[in-house]
Amino acid sequence: MPADAQAATAVSSTSGSSPTQTSGVIHNIGYRRYDAERLGRAAIVRALTWHSLRSAFGIGRGAKAKIFPALLFGLMCLPAAVNAVALATNPSGAPIVGYDSYVPSLRTVVMLIFVAIEAPNLVSADLRNHTLPLYFARPIHRLDYPVAKLVAFLLACLLMVEIPLILLWIGIASQEHGASGVWEQTLRLGPGLLYGAAWAVLLASISLLLASTTGKRVFAMCAIGIPLFFSWIVANVLAHVGAQAFGPVASGQPSALASLAGLISPFTLLGGLLRWLQGNPAIGPAYHPLQPTTIGSYGPVYGALFVAATIAAIAGLIGRYRKVGVA
Amino acid sequence: MAMPSAGDRAWHAAPDPVIKTSAMTKCYGTTVTALDQLTIMVGPGITGLIGANGAGKSTLIKILLGLLEPTSGTAAVLGHDCVTDGFAIRTLTGYMPEHDCLPPDVTATELVTHFGRMSGLPATAARERAADSLRHVALYEERYRQIGTYSTGMKQRVKLAQALVGDPRLLLLDEPTNGLDPAGRTAMLELIARIGTEFGISILVASHLLGEIEQICDQLIAIDAGRLLRADTISSVTQASAVLLVEVDEGVDLLTAELVRRGLTPAPFQRGLLVELAGDETYDIVRDSVADLGLPLSRLEQRRHRIEELFRADPELIDEPRAEATGSPTMGVPSAS
Repeated sequence: MPADAQAATAVSSTSGSSPTQTSGVIHNIGYRRYDAERLGRAAIVRALTWHSLRSAFGIGRGAKAKIFPALLFGLMCLPAAVNAVALATNPSGAPIVGYDSYVPSLRTVVMLIFVAIEAPNLVSADLRNHTLPLYFARPIHRLDYPVAKLVAFLLACLLMVEIPLILLWIGIASQEHGASGVWEQTLRLGPGLLYGAAWAVLLASISLLLASTTGKRVFAMCAIGIPLFFSWIVANVLAHVGAQAFGPVASGQPSALASLAGLISPFTLLGGLLRWLQGNPAIGPAYHPLQPTTIGSYGPVYGALFVAATIAAIAGLIGRYRKVGVA
Repeated sequence: MAMPSAGDRAWHAAPDPVIKTSAMTKCYGTTVTALDQLTIMVGPGITGLIGANGAGKSTLIKILLGLLEPTSGTAAVLGHDCVTDGFAIRTLTGYMPEHDCLPPDVTATELVTHFGRMSGLPATAARERAADSLRHVALYEERYRQIGTYSTGMKQRVKLAQALVGDPRLLLLDEPTNGLDPAGRTAMLELIARIGTEFGISILVASHLLGEIEQICDQLIAIDAGRLLRADTISSVTQASAVLLVEVDEGVDLLTAELVRRGLTPAPFQRGLLVELAGDETYDIVRDSVADLGLPLSRLEQRRHRIEELFRADPELIDEPRAEATGSPTMGVPSAS
């Protein structure tokens, strides 16, 4: 009988152990075992990475948390949009924004604010709230936590840097006629993406290390923002002084001070890395001290310091979580 | 479904004790010995881990979770070695830390779902089990509110729910009644007792309050300064000295005389009488006496001697809990009886 069958279904759904049979009965469900599949360590770490990546953009954290990431991302995409509009109105003109450095000062300011706000959200909050014991009591290794956080924040920084580049490419390629033009633009985009990845790796690892030193969000923001911002200012002032005092354009060779000043700040380090990778093209008379970084003959030093700083920051982060208390 | 699940059967067939340590020592540096040659064996059910602050309770729990390595000796949980098989243990175990560990800016549902994922549940199952767990700890509509707006009692229940979400076979609860008022404390203890009995999950509950342990535990492990003080079932140490509390609204003197006439030795206690409980016949005698005298019986209750008396040898362990247990209903039995 249908009525009996329905009743039987209702009964089995109250005592059934299948997690899908939740509808119908709300109260007094009794305890239900979980006998279905359990995910392994790799899947748990992936879930933590995905959760952290979403939270870096404020997803799953309420409306207020989404304001800054959205604002910064929009700002970062602005040059690509302006470039697309400029090319659309004047199809014969050259692109006004390059793939390699994009707009360096804008990228510097936007990424500085992004890492200063979001890196503390990823790691400081768990330190402040003593949430780490809950993670360590799960079937993961204790170092899976910083690795997942690092990968998540690296991906977040990659999205911030690379998506505007891809939008820029779409804007330029859409004005190209023929496949060869589009292919040529794609070949130029490649190095730009790689260089963008260098930004993401260096900034993500340094800012997470700094954020993991304190549980207080404001302190963590300062611990990231102040050194990054002031080292950038100091590097530029020194480069400027070095350039003015010794006259790079007149002599043709920048002074050692101007060339090495860029090593002080991660942003000028990245600028110097780009110039070295580009083969250190000559700086024109319109040279402005803020960017690009002067490197003289010290290009390899920039490359080596970039690698060393990244490795040191990641090692520091791992070491931090090797030592952090269990409870 | 009438058939027990596969997990059920495997669990009941498991010959291993839930927790087993053997001559386990944990030293921090060269000077601090947190655990000293501790050998314990814990069966299924609710087990109380009692000890003063600093006795080594939290250290023991962290070793059992595989988060700390013992300096020497061995430890195993559910048949898995704590040093080499921490992953397996943490899959089967839920842990409720002693201190506040909840972020204030997420809802209970989000938090418990997230830690369900961290326990290895797929996304859909994590959501469903999070809803179930929060219902079991009696959080309903509040679960969509941010945890920062919760009372201490609600936060403690969220901590319990996140330990429960992964369907553990063992719960390790570190001071679950910390910071709760007497009513919240009673509610938390009832919840733990229900999880231990109805849900069939073994529980190790650490506490420095002896009165709590007495209410809910089947077994008891007392440690002091990292050494085992006593381990036994609650009934085996208290059965022999069980007493019956009889309260009548009037005629206490008549009843006293009647009970003495029938061969019992009643002792006045508060508004009633305490009778040494020899067996079922004691109940019969009291019942018949009250009925014959036609007295209004208001209370007939079996009581146990307070567990503090088991630890008379160690006044330090007893003094502190007594000082703190002002809120719990204490009705000490004269130890002379």
